[in-house]
Amino acid sequence: MKSIEQLFSFKGKVIIITGAAGAIGGAAGHLFASLGANVVISDLNGEGAKKVAAEITAESGVEALGIQTNATVEAELDTLVQTTLEKFGKISGLINNVGWGAATPIWESDTDKMVKSYLLNTVGAYNLTKRCMPYLEKEPNASVVFSGSLVGVTPSPEFIEYSTAKAGLMNLVRSMAVVSGPKVRFNTVLIGSVDNGDSTLAAGYDPEMLRRLSEAFVMKRRGFPMEIAYGMMFLMSNAAEWITGIDLRIDGGGTYKSKMPKKD
Amino acid sequence: MKLNHLFDLSGKVAVVTGGGNGIGKAVCMMLSRAGASVAVGDLKYEDAQHVADEIKAEGGKAIAVACNVTVDEELVNMVDETVKAFGKVNVLVNNAGGGGGGRENPSKISVDDFAWRFKLNVYSAWRLSQLCAPHMEKDGYGSIINITSMSSINRSPNMSAYAASKAAMNHMTANLAMDYGGGKIRVNAVGPGATKTAALASVLTPEIEAKMLAHTPIKRLGEVDDIAGAVLYFAAPISEWVSGETLFVNGGGVQTLD
Repeated sequence: MKSIEQLFSFKGKVIIITGAAGAIGGAAGHLFASLGANVVISDLNGEGAKKVAAEITAESGVEALGIQTNATVEAELDTLVQTTLEKFGKISGLINNVGWGAATPIWESDTDKMVKSYLLNTVGAYNLTKRCMPYLEKEPNASVVFSGSLVGVTPSPEFIEYSTAKAGLMNLVRSMAVVSGPKVRFNTVLIGSVDNGDSTLAAGYDPEMLRRLSEAFVMKRRGFPMEIAYGMMFLMSNAAEWITGIDLRIDGGGTYKSKMPKKD
Repeated sequence: MKLNHLFDLSGKVAVVTGGGNGIGKAVCMMLSRAGASVAVGDLKYEDAQHVADEIKAEGGKAIAVACNVTVDEELVNMVDETVKAFGKVNVLVNNAGGGGGGRENPSKISVDDFAWRFKLNVYSAWRLSQLCAPHMEKDGYGSIINITSMSSINRSPNMSAYAASKAAMNHMTANLAMDYGGGKIRVNAVGPGATKTAALASVLTPEIEAKMLAHTPIKRLGEVDDIAGAVLYFAAPISEWVSGETLFVNGGGVQTLD
C-alpha cells in the first residue's frame, strides 16, 4: 500500500487550470501548488491570473505561471499550451474550469446567447483538452478534471444557456473517458452553489436570494471554493488511478424542498 | 495546506465491517495511516485480529471484534466494544456484504436467499448507521461510507437480488444523507467495480478477466487500495460539503461475469 504522502503528492506535476483568477480555479491553484505541483493559472483576466500566480508562488515556494487566455480563441489556447511547455516542459494535468452563465428566462434566450454559452462552457474545454492530449499521454496517471454544474443535471429553466452547455460538457467527458484507455483519465466535479464572490452577484443574485439558496441545501450552506478544489485534487491524485468517466457531486447533500410546505 | 492536515483523522474513531480481508482490510490500514483508531469487525475473529495486529505493529490503534452483520446483537456489540475501547465513533464503513457472483438464477433462488442478501447488505448498513449516529452527533464529526457495487447500476445476468440490494444501499445513502443533513453526519457510498480480492478470485477465470478488461477503459481490474483511497476521501474533512453521493470506482467501464 502506498503511503498517504505518495497518494496525494503532486511534486513534479505540471497542471493547467483555466478560469483560475476566480474563486474555485484560484483555490485549486493554491491547493495543487501546496502539494508540490507547478501550476499554470490561465484566465481571461490576465492581470488577475498573474496576481494569483504570484500569490501562489509566494505562499508555496513553487513556481507558478499566470497567463491571459480567452478560452474561445483557438490561437490563444495554442499559446497557453506552448507557453506551459516552454516554461515547465510537460503537462501532467488539466482543469477545465472556465465557465459562464447568466439568468435568462427560458423563452428569452436566442442563438447568440446559446452559442456563446456552448463555446465558453463546452467547446473551449474540448479545444484545450485536444491540444493537451499528446503531452498528457506521455505522463503517468495524467488526468483532466472538468467543472460541471448541478444545473447541468437538474431542470434549470432559469439558466437555459448555461445548463444545456454544462449537460453537453458532461457527455463530452464520458466520451473522452471511454476512449482514453489507461493513459489519461477524465472526470467531472458537479458543483452545487459555491460562494465565489462577485461572480454569483453578477449572475443576478442578491443577498436575500443567496440566504434562501443556502437554506435549500441539505447542509444549509453554500460550498467553499476550496471544498471543490479538494474534490478536483482527489480525482487527479494517485488514489484515483482507477477512476475515470465519473461525475463527483460536491453539493452539500443536494437541495431539498418539502412536499408539505409550512403555511407561514 | 499540508497533507497530514488534509487527510488528518487523528483523534477520530472508525468502525469497519468485513475488515479482516480484501477491501475492508485495505480500508482499515488506510484509515489507520490517516490517524484514526480502528475497530476491525469481521465474521472471522482471527482475520480481524490479524488486521488489528498489523495496525498495531505500524504504531496505530486497533481492536478486533467478531461481527456477523446479519445478527442484531453482534451489531450492537460491535458499536459497544468500539465505544468501550475508544470512547466514541466518527467513521463507519459498511463494507461487510456479499451474495454476488452471478449465481442467482431467478428460477432457482429461494425467497430466503433473496431476503438474506438484503439482510446482509442493506439491513446491516442501515442498523449500524442507526447505532453509530448518536455517537457521531455527540462528537460533532461523523462520516458513514457504504460500500455498494458497480452492479447497482449495471444490468447483470443472475444478479437480481444482489444488484437490487446494492442499488437499495445507494438510495439509502442519499436518503440518510438528507435525514442527517442538518447535523454533523455525512453519508456517502463507494461503488467498486471488479476488484482483485479472494471473493472475486472464486469466480474469476482468465477468459472472464479478458472480457472484463475489454469493456474497461483503464485496462486493469481494481486493486483494494483503489477503493480504500475513495473511502479516505469521504472519511476525511476535505469532503465536508459532500453527502448523499455514490462514487463509482470501476476503471471507467463495466466488468460483468458472463
